[in-house]
Amino acid sequence: MDLDQIRSILDLVREHELSEFEIEHDGLRLKIRKDSNSAQIVTHAVPMMAAMAAPVAAAAALASSTPSSVTDIGESEIELAVVKSPIVGTFYRSSEPASASFVEIGSSVKKGDVLCIIEAMKLMNEIDSEYDGEVVNVYVENGQPVQYGERLFAIRTR
Amino acid sequence: MTLPDDLAAAIERARPRLGRLASTVLFFETIGSTNDMAAERRAKALAERSEGLVVVADQQTSGRGRRGHTWFSPAGFGLYVSVVLAPATARTDPARATTLLTLAVGVALAEGIEQATGLRVDLKWPNDLQVSRRKLGGILAESSGAGDRSDTVVVGYGINVQTQAFPPELRDRATSLESELGRTIGRHHLLAETLVALSRRYEDLLAGRFDAILDAWRRLAPAASGARVEWTTNAGASTGVTVGIDDLGALLVRIDDRVERIVSGEVVWI
Repeated sequence: MDLDQIRSILDLVREHELSEFEIEHDGLRLKIRKDSNSAQIVTHAVPMMAAMAAPVAAAAALASSTPSSVTDIGESEIELAVVKSPIVGTFYRSSEPASASFVEIGSSVKKGDVLCIIEAMKLMNEIDSEYDGEVVNVYVENGQPVQYGERLFAIRTR
Repeated sequence: MTLPDDLAAAIERARPRLGRLASTVLFFETIGSTNDMAAERRAKALAERSEGLVVVADQQTSGRGRRGHTWFSPAGFGLYVSVVLAPATARTDPARATTLLTLAVGVALAEGIEQATGLRVDLKWPNDLQVSRRKLGGILAESSGAGDRSDTVVVGYGINVQTQAFPPELRDRATSLESELGRTIGRHHLLAETLVALSRRYEDLLAGRFDAILDAWRRLAPAASGARVEWTTNAGASTGVTVGIDDLGALLVRIDDRVERIVSGEVVWI
């Protein structure tokens, strides 16, 4: 893969407003991730269909599943499960503003424990842990918009 | 608790039109929150394949709205209901059915209220029930899971029925059926007709009749086009003019020469 190819990939990522992109080619693994600051709103600067694709896929994941666990073997030997957002929406770490967060870094979680709420179309989706383990990272701040597939938590599984 | 006679009678009269809803109806004179009770019973309801569980209360001691807002629910004042639905079991495009669920519920409640009382109700995106920009009712939908199982959604709704002195913070923003209509409204008839309408729109969702839902929603929501709105993003407050909803129910707002699509957060009509 040469620089021009990487450049055209970056252009495509920009054009289609992808928040995350990963490709493996000839032994080179390229991962691009954009900090999404205006995630709850997808701007229609590009053709309508491009902007629509994300929520469709997002809703599909909500209904059909994809627990979105990624085990990142490359970086370390520890089993880290990354919990990703199944939908486009707003991320909340507690059940209501005055309540404590469902989990903090260092919290121990069991399968089925609530990790967060993602609101979309005024439906409050509780996202449960798929794993027993310990929360080692929280990628998104409370009240921030999230995109489909955006990383929310890292859990060290046990 | 056994159902009060007139409530049971209203449900039985409506039974042929209730479809898969109200297979089980639980009534409570006083309850914390109908949504919490429905969520508690959800697992059991699913195990018994009784989708359509309905929880009704005369009074909620901790009625909830979105994000920690309380829902004013004194005894006998309103209708407080929660229903367990499973949009992910839709035969056509379960993902879209789930996305459009909250709009479909808004449409159904507006239709059920009009059927029961004759009052025309507007929808404010995505599903607040309004009369002359005052809130008549609201919906709180909650689901849980990691997406790996057939998700159920607890849909709670509250409709203000009686004329009552609202707390000061609601006085200018809320209304009720009886203050709009100037006559007494039977809550049990209202319950039955809202459930009937909900059943019909839920069947539309499950059968993939999305255009019927979107068209009905657009007719009931005049302010979804051509109205000035304000909302907050990380970058601060933005304002724009509404230009309708797209096929997934997202609110479209024009700012200068671009259109943004909003799926969550608080949008204020100004």
